[in-house]
Amino acid sequence: MALADFLITLLTFVTVYSLFGLGLNVKYGFTGLVDFGHVAYFMVGAYVTVVLTMPAEVAGYAGIGGLNLPAVFGALFPGGALVGWFVGIAGGMVAAAATSLLVGVPTLRLREDYLAITALGIATILNAVFENEEWLFNGPYGVQSVYEPLGDLFPLGLGSFTLNMVVLGGLSVLLFLVAGYAVVQHARRAGRRMRLLLGGLVALFVLWYFVQPVLAGGGMVAFERNLMWLFDPTAGQTGGLDYDRFLLLFATGLLAVAYWWVERTVNSPYGRVLRAVRDDEDVPKALGKQTYRYKIQAMMFGSALAGAAGALWAIQLGFISPEQFAPTLTFFAFTAVIIGGTANNKGVILGTAAFWLINSGTRFLNDYIPSEYSVQLAAARLMLIGVLLVVILYYRPEGILGEQDYTVNVPEDDAGGPGSLGGLVGGGDGD
Amino acid sequence: MTEADPSARSAEPGDALLSVENLRKRFGGIVALDGVSVDVEQGITGLIGPNGAGKTTLFDCITGFLEPDSGRVRFDGEDITGDRPATLAQHGLVRSFQIPRELESMTVRENLLLSTPNQYGERLTGTWVRGEKFAADERRARRRADETAAFFELDHLLEEPAGNLSGGQRKLLEIARALLTDPKMVLLDEPMAGVNPSLEKKILDRIHELEAEGYAFLLVEHDVDVIMEHCEHVIVLHQGDLLTQGPPDAVRTDERVIDAYLGEEEL
Repeated sequence: MALADFLITLLTFVTVYSLFGLGLNVKYGFTGLVDFGHVAYFMVGAYVTVVLTMPAEVAGYAGIGGLNLPAVFGALFPGGALVGWFVGIAGGMVAAAATSLLVGVPTLRLREDYLAITALGIATILNAVFENEEWLFNGPYGVQSVYEPLGDLFPLGLGSFTLNMVVLGGLSVLLFLVAGYAVVQHARRAGRRMRLLLGGLVALFVLWYFVQPVLAGGGMVAFERNLMWLFDPTAGQTGGLDYDRFLLLFATGLLAVAYWWVERTVNSPYGRVLRAVRDDEDVPKALGKQTYRYKIQAMMFGSALAGAAGALWAIQLGFISPEQFAPTLTFFAFTAVIIGGTANNKGVILGTAAFWLINSGTRFLNDYIPSEYSVQLAAARLMLIGVLLVVILYYRPEGILGEQDYTVNVPEDDAGGPGSLGGLVGGGDGD
Repeated sequence: MTEADPSARSAEPGDALLSVENLRKRFGGIVALDGVSVDVEQGITGLIGPNGAGKTTLFDCITGFLEPDSGRVRFDGEDITGDRPATLAQHGLVRSFQIPRELESMTVRENLLLSTPNQYGERLTGTWVRGEKFAADERRARRRADETAAFFELDHLLEEPAGNLSGGQRKLLEIARALLTDPKMVLLDEPMAGVNPSLEKKILDRIHELEAEGYAFLLVEHDVDVIMEHCEHVIVLHQGDLLTQGPPDAVRTDERVIDAYLGEEEL
């Protein structure tokens, strides 16, 4: 496997878990809800989306039958299959939100530490139900048939091998250039220590991604393949874009939409109330806000995002079963959010990337150490993340990026200058 | 929102703006409120009593932060017993906290923006859809926040995180935030505690100005002199029960009040 393929798998991972983390950030970062059961909504979203989009009869599946939405919509109009999948993921998100509503109504009245424990308990119970009730979603055997949106288009070629290589390879190089430019721009604004850190990380990446494969005997072919990471020469007759690469782009697109959506939600009077609930719930209460309703909504919104992440996760795995949704995923997401910066959407993505780079990137060290130590290395990986978490919590309790800034964008008012004090009394209907 | 109109409200005798009937609250073996009945009219009313008299418990029971064991609370002609704090605030009954509870990570402006009632952008759909109403409501809220900040001389601190304010400024912010909810009555729990004399005077001046505009105030205060000087009506609680009430001069000379405070404070 070329390094490019590994990178693509890793980035898709990061994208999916970032989406998962964004959902957690809505709950924990912006609203202060410590939901230790976040993974349950990931699971519900994955299962419901898969079942909504898979064919009615699948060999070896004995659960609630598939609705085959892509085929249903595909028969109606061209491009309907993709619409069908989007209806499926919307269904998964609604199901996740509905589940969190059922969990939230009793638990959100509890104090936050009780909420955390209760949510963890409910998530574990839900996982056990999925595991043991075969009539529901096939129990421990899971679902083998995961619909891949637009899957029949891939591998996608534009024509000849050369054309594919030039277009996709050029796009890859362009993306590298954009990323490099962004890093340089950031470094120019940052302080000395940050520059050193960025420089070190970039050097490490170049060594690992470009230099090492060449020296390891891959030669220029390995270099080219890694540079033109979007172009897969082995895909189809003439090379092209394979499904894994497409999935990364697709997931990135969905993450961008979710990011925009969360940003819009928190940069608003609504987000202001959420943060007030987080800081001291009695204050917004005393000022006339129905805080319980806000908590429920934040819980549902965050869970819906987790559900969307679950739907993408299912595609990447190509197979889902209850054991893939272990409670540790919730804590990985918490770790990522805290590392990157609680209540910072960019921080979630940064933290998730850092977390999974350490967790997966260090697998490469396996090549350099004797195999009898590989078990210890696996354990050391989690220890390393633990140490990183402790160091960050000690030196920067607010995370690498800290809490984000908020602005509510409102066009300037052309009418009505500043009123007098008299406006204060009857100000409720000032406009 | 209807504007507070003192003349209309005091027209019917016995129908006070806030009326508490036979309120009881126990915490385990401690009787915090032992059947308190008081009426609070327009204007500035003072609530005093020695430590442990039940002043804050009475506040909490009136504003919905505690549920009374028995008794009734009526506000503005409606039974509000057991209503939740948010409902009461929307109804025009708002409180401040004894220890200022500003939202430290948020700016002073954000603290103030929070108070304006019925903001379209505070609804999830409003925030997602946005549009003209969203912008208009936000502009209105900002204008009110800025005006109120200027009134309380906090306008130079608007972008400052509220956690950076001094103790006195926090008290001002707390009162400003309460006023921005368009209340009919404001319950202030020790607004002058820990505030230096010049700021105390400023707070009292503001309260008088606002009272003239039609707000009603119920004030808990330890400094009896302040209460006697600035309130039109004084309620004295003692050991969870109403000791006496009336105009400051009558209360000041009341033997029972002097007894209750003996050893605590000279009247």
